[in-house]
Amino acid sequence: MSYGMEIFDSSGNETFSTTDSTWTLLGVYTSNADTSTNHTGVPIMTTRIVTRIMVDQISGDDESYVHTYSLSGSTLTTTAPSASETVKTVFMVFGK
Amino acid sequence: MAHGLLVKNEDNEVLIDSDFIHYHFLGKYTHSSVTQIPDLLGGSDANTYGIGGNSPDQNKGTQNMPSKGEIYVFSVPVNGSTPPMCFIKPTSTGSSAPFTAIILTKQSGSNWEIRVFQSTVTSPSPVLYCFSPLSQVSNSTSTTHGLKTLNSSGVVTFDSRFKPLKAVGGGTITSPGLAHTGSTGSSWTVSLGVNASSVSTSFTTQSSASDLIYYCPSLAHACQQYTHEESDEGIYDWESYAWARSDIWWCFYRSCFRIASTSSFEANYGVFARGHFYEHKADTTNVFAGLILGALTGGVYFAALLAAIVAAGSFTSANVDGGNYLPYENSYRNTSGNAFIISKASYYD
Repeated sequence: MSYGMEIFDSSGNETFSTTDSTWTLLGVYTSNADTSTNHTGVPIMTTRIVTRIMVDQISGDDESYVHTYSLSGSTLTTTAPSASETVKTVFMVFGK
Repeated sequence: MAHGLLVKNEDNEVLIDSDFIHYHFLGKYTHSSVTQIPDLLGGSDANTYGIGGNSPDQNKGTQNMPSKGEIYVFSVPVNGSTPPMCFIKPTSTGSSAPFTAIILTKQSGSNWEIRVFQSTVTSPSPVLYCFSPLSQVSNSTSTTHGLKTLNSSGVVTFDSRFKPLKAVGGGTITSPGLAHTGSTGSSWTVSLGVNASSVSTSFTTQSSASDLIYYCPSLAHACQQYTHEESDEGIYDWESYAWARSDIWWCFYRSCFRIASTSSFEANYGVFARGHFYEHKADTTNVFAGLILGALTGGVYFAALLAAIVAAGSFTSANVDGGNYLPYENSYRNTSGNAFIISKASYYD
């Protein structure tokens, strides 16, 4: 490495450097079942990725939609596709 | 940033920003138990034996249904409200590897319960590499070397001593629509196995596929069914007879994923739950008397079957949520925009 930064542990092994890549957590947002929600104040980074998690186990009795979303600026807009069969969804926004 | 530390990598991507929380390695976990969704089965026979011309019961159950996948249950010791990121180290990679995904992430006391679904049963089992914000990590270290950042509230946001998450690839992937394409059966033989073409997406080429781990919780599911009905009537041994039988088989599929190569990530389905219900009626009467079954064939039977499924019992005995797993017919949900992140196990082993 001719430039950049390297971090070593006490044994001299490199643990992190500017040749690496990572995703930094910008925020965790929860949209409740059957409800569309706008989450504001989402930090901005050049590249962002949104992961979704179904928090509760689906029972098989309903259609178990997850919220759809769009991320623009500092607003994460989440939409419940069904007013009665959309599950609680956790959004984790990462940036780099 | 008014104060603090901001480090960018060679691609001008943020690597360390002291304002934001970074995920750090929590540990490597194996499952504590394995389960499957029990089959949902039911039906009724009425006077079906010994009746001339009656259709036998053989080969009308679950004999031809596809095998179910397994659910591995993990308990991850992370005490906090921010969900851990659990990367799957699959049992194998390549075009014949099983598909695997997290289907449940749920806080349970001071732990998080993670359930991993795999499309086929294998040995060994998948392993989880879990990450969490430092505030939820109770690991300790005696080393004094490294770099540590704090945000404006004095909360540690990055500490190189605890192996921060490194990513080598990522993106979004779309799951197939229907899990089974084409005919779903013929006569009494059901055909509901997963045959959809896997959907593939690429990531930056790595040196070894077997070293890769991935984070991609399952969102998509599909449900498909096959129905068949037959009936007959006639005269046998001086008696009039009539029989009718209607069957419905279905599978509920969950999306799951695999590392197909050093640069390819694939999505498809596994059979998560399955069921079979039937209604079988038959009767005889003296050849000179009238028949009673003629009006009961057709849609009446299927209506009765669907009513029975809705009223089916729960699955509490297998530690999975109850349900009939037939929430819709021959369709799918949540197939698009599933984000994934790729890392390497060797960073943390």
